[in-house]
Amino acid sequence: MQQGRNVERRTILKAAGASLAVAGLGATATACGGGSGSGNGTVTIRYAWWGGEPRTIAIRKTIALFEKKFPKIKVKPEFTDYEAFWEKFQTQASGGNPPDVFQNAVGFLRKYDKRGVLLDLKTQADAGNLSLENFRNGVLANGQVDGKQIAVPVGANTMALVIDLKAFEKAGVEARFGWTWDEYFDALQTIQDKLKIAGDTGYFSIMYLYDLYLRQNGKAFFTDTDLGFTQDELTQWWEDGYKRVRSGLVADPKKVEQVKPKSALSAGLAASEFTWDNFSIRYEGEGESDYGLAPIPTTDGKNTGQYLGSLMLSGFSGTKHPEEVAQFIDFMVHDPGVGEIMGYDRGLLATTEQYEAFKPTDPNNKGVAAYEEEVAAAGVLGRITPHPSGADVIEAAFLRIGGEVAQGKTKPADAAKALFSEAKAAFAG
Amino acid sequence: MTLVKEAPARPAGQRPAAPAAGRRGRRRENLAGYLFMSPWIAGFLLLTAGPMIASLYYAFTSYNLFTPPQWIGLDNFTTMFQDPRWQKSVEVTLTYVVVATPLKLLLALGVALLLAQKRRGQGLYRAAFYMPSLIGASVSVGFVWRALFSDDAVVDRTQKIFGLDVGGWIGNPDYVIYSLVALSIWQFGAPMVIFLAGLKQVPQELYEAAEVDGAGPLRRFWNITLPMISPVLFFNVLLESIHAFQVFGSAYVVSDTRCGPADATLVYTCYLYQKGFKEAQMGFASAMAWTLVIAVALVTAVLFWSQKKWVHYEEAAK
Amino acid sequence: MTSATSSALPAASERRRRGSIAWHVGAVAVLAVVLYPVIWVVGASFKPSKDIIASLDLLPAKPVWENFSGLADGISGISVSSFFWNSLMYAVLAVAGVVLSSSLTAYAFAKIRFAGRNLLFTLMIGTLLLPYHVLLIPQYVLFRNLGLTDTLVPLVAGRFLATEAFFVFLMVQFMRGLPRELDEAAKLDGCGHLRTYWSVVLPLSRPAIITSAIFTFINAWNDFMGPLIYLNTPEKYTVSLGLMMFRDQEGISDYGSMIAMSLVALVPVIAFFMAFQRHLIDGMATSGLKG
Repeated sequence: MQQGRNVERRTILKAAGASLAVAGLGATATACGGGSGSGNGTVTIRYAWWGGEPRTIAIRKTIALFEKKFPKIKVKPEFTDYEAFWEKFQTQASGGNPPDVFQNAVGFLRKYDKRGVLLDLKTQADAGNLSLENFRNGVLANGQVDGKQIAVPVGANTMALVIDLKAFEKAGVEARFGWTWDEYFDALQTIQDKLKIAGDTGYFSIMYLYDLYLRQNGKAFFTDTDLGFTQDELTQWWEDGYKRVRSGLVADPKKVEQVKPKSALSAGLAASEFTWDNFSIRYEGEGESDYGLAPIPTTDGKNTGQYLGSLMLSGFSGTKHPEEVAQFIDFMVHDPGVGEIMGYDRGLLATTEQYEAFKPTDPNNKGVAAYEEEVAAAGVLGRITPHPSGADVIEAAFLRIGGEVAQGKTKPADAAKALFSEAKAAFAG
Repeated sequence: MTLVKEAPARPAGQRPAAPAAGRRGRRRENLAGYLFMSPWIAGFLLLTAGPMIASLYYAFTSYNLFTPPQWIGLDNFTTMFQDPRWQKSVEVTLTYVVVATPLKLLLALGVALLLAQKRRGQGLYRAAFYMPSLIGASVSVGFVWRALFSDDAVVDRTQKIFGLDVGGWIGNPDYVIYSLVALSIWQFGAPMVIFLAGLKQVPQELYEAAEVDGAGPLRRFWNITLPMISPVLFFNVLLESIHAFQVFGSAYVVSDTRCGPADATLVYTCYLYQKGFKEAQMGFASAMAWTLVIAVALVTAVLFWSQKKWVHYEEAAK
Repeated sequence: MTSATSSALPAASERRRRGSIAWHVGAVAVLAVVLYPVIWVVGASFKPSKDIIASLDLLPAKPVWENFSGLADGISGISVSSFFWNSLMYAVLAVAGVVLSSSLTAYAFAKIRFAGRNLLFTLMIGTLLLPYHVLLIPQYVLFRNLGLTDTLVPLVAGRFLATEAFFVFLMVQFMRGLPRELDEAAKLDGCGHLRTYWSVVLPLSRPAIITSAIFTFINAWNDFMGPLIYLNTPEKYTVSLGLMMFRDQEGISDYGSMIAMSLVALVPVIAFFMAFQRHLIDGMATSGLKG
């Protein structure tokens, strides 16, 4: 019996050992968390971004290029889509384990600066690990908060109207610079009358478009700490939007919903859609028609309210390898080879070195370049400042509540009230 | 549920054998018992009881994951009860539970009665009907469902035959929840198998006696089958409704991750996930979780209380 | 609804034949509805991407392979086989954990009389009814603080610690049903509990263990929320998450490959099911019955 008991204990130990072995397995897998060095002096940093497959494939090539030039630094990629990215990032960062380098945008700078997650790259630049020179059109300022450089732009993009060229042509309407909202909706009306398809896919749920509209009127979606418009103004915006859904000018939201993740424009449900200009590549790949970039409608016949936004790179304040992180960012924003690989996937290349290295040959990239040059030439470009903390939650709420308005499930006035109430909670969070 | 009521009370396992009797033997049995149980005990403390207490604490705090939880008393609960999205998620979940569970069980019982007859191919049918219960929770089937309930796909075409012209259900906030209900009903195989096993245990003599008394099929079903299988019916009702309260994956995938449109598929878990993992309001999400625990406990209690009235244990499965 | 018994009274064979036809018509009708989605996905994965939703036919007019060859290229530089490998690892570890820990626990409940057993058993059954949401967040915080996110540990730890009460319960039921004489005989032969567990009860419990193993495998294979919350690196994604990568919101969505991948992801589960369907169904049936 005595013996039996011993064996018994051993089994338990064995069972425990098995569990520990599993734990050990995990431990080795996570050993790179936060970046780690190893015996032979190589350093591993984690690099995370969001985006579609084409971006991921291009970025992987740039990583290979980097690793060739910096054999002592290994880069471990992590990627997913926009929403999942920020979900993951938030939980990782809260555990002190975010990627060492990651893609960033104006909506998230203050939020994560406030939480102490972002590395001040100014210090690294002063130490000579990173150059903050040669940025075009002043986009470097997009990554500055309270005198700190917490992100460095890789590209410059702006909102655009993507149109179905064939539909516009067939209906005999033309998009021109400086056209007004009235002219735009008249054009959509003509398209609807002649081609029996909707004009737009649901403009009024896009926060960044409403921002442009507000900018055309001397306001903006966000102030430094709050919303920059009134509940009544938003009610009006959504009432107009819903009217246009009812009249068929804006595509049936039920159908828009069904074709996801495909875009409603490439599914042929409507003739135009507002989005960031660097996203335009997806339409050619997905849809049957030809697509092009068209100017944003204006209020006064001139001012589109546009600005050059940026996708940026940031570092983690707690990284074990701030130098390598800075070197990596420096390479990714300045190296001409990287520019050639990335093209305008994240907007027009932000630094002169990269901008000059990439000469677009395909119609899509050419279109993006021409578009941004045209916008710049029109002299309408304003400035963007980092959004207040909580902007990300509000962006998602705007899209969702706008969708409820489109579906006729929430009255515009109630919807505006709901957005303000959710915004209040988001700013407080 | 029989299992809960009887199992622990019955002294199963061997009685202490004569030589091992006495205090030492008992102590040895205790030691052995707890050694064998140690993985479970560790799991219970670390992964169940501990987390339950932690989430109970979080429920009374504001916790954004970055800074330590801050005690805010009942604020999460008062905010939650006034939150229109929370109310919506309760409405969506209740609709789902109340519509899907009875329909699924009704179909399961109906088909089980069909399959209880000895016919050729019976085993094959049983297997085929069971399969959806295994794959229904997968992302693959979520994608397929999205396709089947779109415009001009099979469901749309079928409903048009019956003059229902609402288009695909996926994009329609008034209908999309029923595509989830359909997905749940499609998985009727699991409760069906349990019904079948219950039906097999009904003594044939009862039917024969009833037939001699001139009872028709309906009467036989009502007076014999139903009471005799009431324990398995109870078991199925309990498990299926508790599962239905916790649905997540299907809603998340079928709605293309947004639990929409217009929050129409915002099941409770999905809102909890959004609050906790998207917005990092872990305190609020924990308050939601505890509210659900209480709701499920209430439902369970009501079911157990009601079983006295309709569940017959005497001659049922032993 | 027909009654469960076949009539014992003399009935016209004509009536019986009609009953039989009605039975088969009913069964086939249910079968058609049940199998439709599965047949659909098989057919759809051989259709050109843009025909999948649009075309009427269940099966493609001319089958094409392009959706599958798209899979061979992987997605975003990750080969599809890596998702399968990860899922397999997850499922195998989960099975090992469940079988080991649940059978030990079940043995204690079924075969050892120890103080507090009834209380623990009630607790265990209680966890069966507990919504997992309430554990989700603290468990996440726990594993995050241990630095174990982005590993399989949070996904399988519970399985090694017998938290899957359903399987413990299933095995308890089964072990209780084993003839008591067997383990009493073992005891008289001088076997301790460990030997009895290992050489008598465990081998005899094979049916319950197989059932638990297969269910665990399939549950792990289908698991979506666990990987969604815990895994971050695409190289570590399981099939469920890999599938979600195919619904590309920002790039060009390739619907055909997504459907083909859906089919491929279902194959192991369906194969498992076909191989073990009797075990699964019997196991499932027992869970609701024995008391």
